[in-house]
Amino acid sequence: MNLLHSEWLKLFTTRTTWVMLGIGLICEGLFMGLIVGLVPADELDEVKELITGTGLLMTLILVLGVLTITTEFRHGTASSTFLVSPRRWRVLLAKLGAAVLVGVLAGLLFVAVNGAIVLPIYSDRTGALPPSGGIAEIYAGVVASFALLCVFGLGVGAIIRNQVGAIIAAIAFFFIISSLPYLLPGNIGEYFPASALGSLHGHTEGEGALNQVGGGLVLAAWSFGLWALGTVLVVRRDLSD
Amino acid sequence: MAQLEVRNLTKRYGSTVAVDDLSFAVEAGGVTGFLGPNGSGKTTTMRALLGLLWPTRGEALIEGRPPTAMEDPLRTVGAALEATAFHPGRSGRNHLRTLAAAARIPRSRVEEVLEMVELSGAAGRRVKGYSLGMRQRLALAAALLGEPRILILDEPANGLDPQGMRWLRDLLRAQAAEGRTVLVSSHVLSEVSQVAEELVMIRDGKLVSHTTLAEFTAGGSAVSRVRAADLDALTTALGERGAKVRRDEDGALLVEALGGVEIGEVALARGIAIHELAPQSSSLEARFLEVMGDEEGVEA
Repeated sequence: MNLLHSEWLKLFTTRTTWVMLGIGLICEGLFMGLIVGLVPADELDEVKELITGTGLLMTLILVLGVLTITTEFRHGTASSTFLVSPRRWRVLLAKLGAAVLVGVLAGLLFVAVNGAIVLPIYSDRTGALPPSGGIAEIYAGVVASFALLCVFGLGVGAIIRNQVGAIIAAIAFFFIISSLPYLLPGNIGEYFPASALGSLHGHTEGEGALNQVGGGLVLAAWSFGLWALGTVLVVRRDLSD
Repeated sequence: MAQLEVRNLTKRYGSTVAVDDLSFAVEAGGVTGFLGPNGSGKTTTMRALLGLLWPTRGEALIEGRPPTAMEDPLRTVGAALEATAFHPGRSGRNHLRTLAAAARIPRSRVEEVLEMVELSGAAGRRVKGYSLGMRQRLALAAALLGEPRILILDEPANGLDPQGMRWLRDLLRAQAAEGRTVLVSSHVLSEVSQVAEELVMIRDGKLVSHTTLAEFTAGGSAVSRVRAADLDALTTALGERGAKVRRDEDGALLVEALGGVEIGEVALARGIAIHELAPQSSSLEARFLEVMGDEEGVEA
């Protein structure tokens, strides 16, 4: 618990976290407001990002997860951190907890912003509630996905350690490479992060698509798998600087 | 039981051997100077003692146990490794708070150590704006946070001004007087010779000497610096009288094992005019460089 407290303090004692969450949420609010306010009413149903957020916020959350560990290597604070807790896996466990918490926090803030902007405008314009499916379930999927995205970033950061390299790798793999198997025949693509994220957000279209829970489980397997691999590597590696 | 011990410690990076079969032990209490030229393996040894890197062979022990087996790490050993290892965007106080939180150390202790290292005034500012000296103080504050039984400090004098050096010496003396075991590294003997009772000297990752400061001082002989009209002839003549003669970086002679009177007489007998004949106050440093196999220590 004390290590978790320490990680939480680390997150919120630099400006990075505040700035990233702030920018993400403000842009999200503006963007959502514009879409829901300007898109012709009969096309609103098609806009699936309406209540699940845009790539921008999700990218920022992913990057935030990467930063929770790469900043320690970049600035050399990993040494102090592991001096306090020479059993390094405990630190990685605390970082996992912090990543989940900050992801959930970001998810809840998103839901608050989204709910305050999108739902009223939408209802006002169409006289109905937004797209099919339970809003509560989709919002829950968004919150869960933000937590898993943050853990995914943490895992990639622990494996790669170099901050720029890890950020690029995480974004490229999550949003580009992992969506390619979707083009393959069969439903193999469903088991890669990009598609699993979609399922978790309730975009379950087409044959063989995973449902929300299934998508969540697949994404969780990726995120926690990367975290576990990253933890093993961090425990084994030397800290020479 | 030794407070700190390395046994046959070897650390390889690819084909480079950073530490080569190094063994020494530091007993409880007092200041031990850990000396060697830059790149001699001091930092690697300290990092192995702290469990930050894994030995290729051998072991590093703290209070007889591997560092990863420490019960209460921050109260056992405090370390200041390098003055640059801070997040530039975090304030000094918040840096210490993150460490204190992890070790369940009360926030009041953070203010205490900030006071001790005279950094209270700047503690709210982001580390980005700190001078090297301030970073050294912050690193020391982090080391002192848990009131540890052992302190491991890697080149803590780097970047300190003369007042800072004096302050550091007083701090180390006070820590030792309270019964703590202090291992402090440096590539300059004078930084530690005023506080250390013991000296561990390494070069190329190997132990060169483990001695007390008193023994080390007693082993040194007086050195005179000599300039003369014909240095080559004088070198030969002094050598015949059993003196050890070297050239320093300015081209003057450094003469050992022969006093000023004898040097003057030798020069007179050969008809060589003496331009300068001065006893060297830094003969301890000269002996250190000699033990270290000279040159490398000089530039740093």
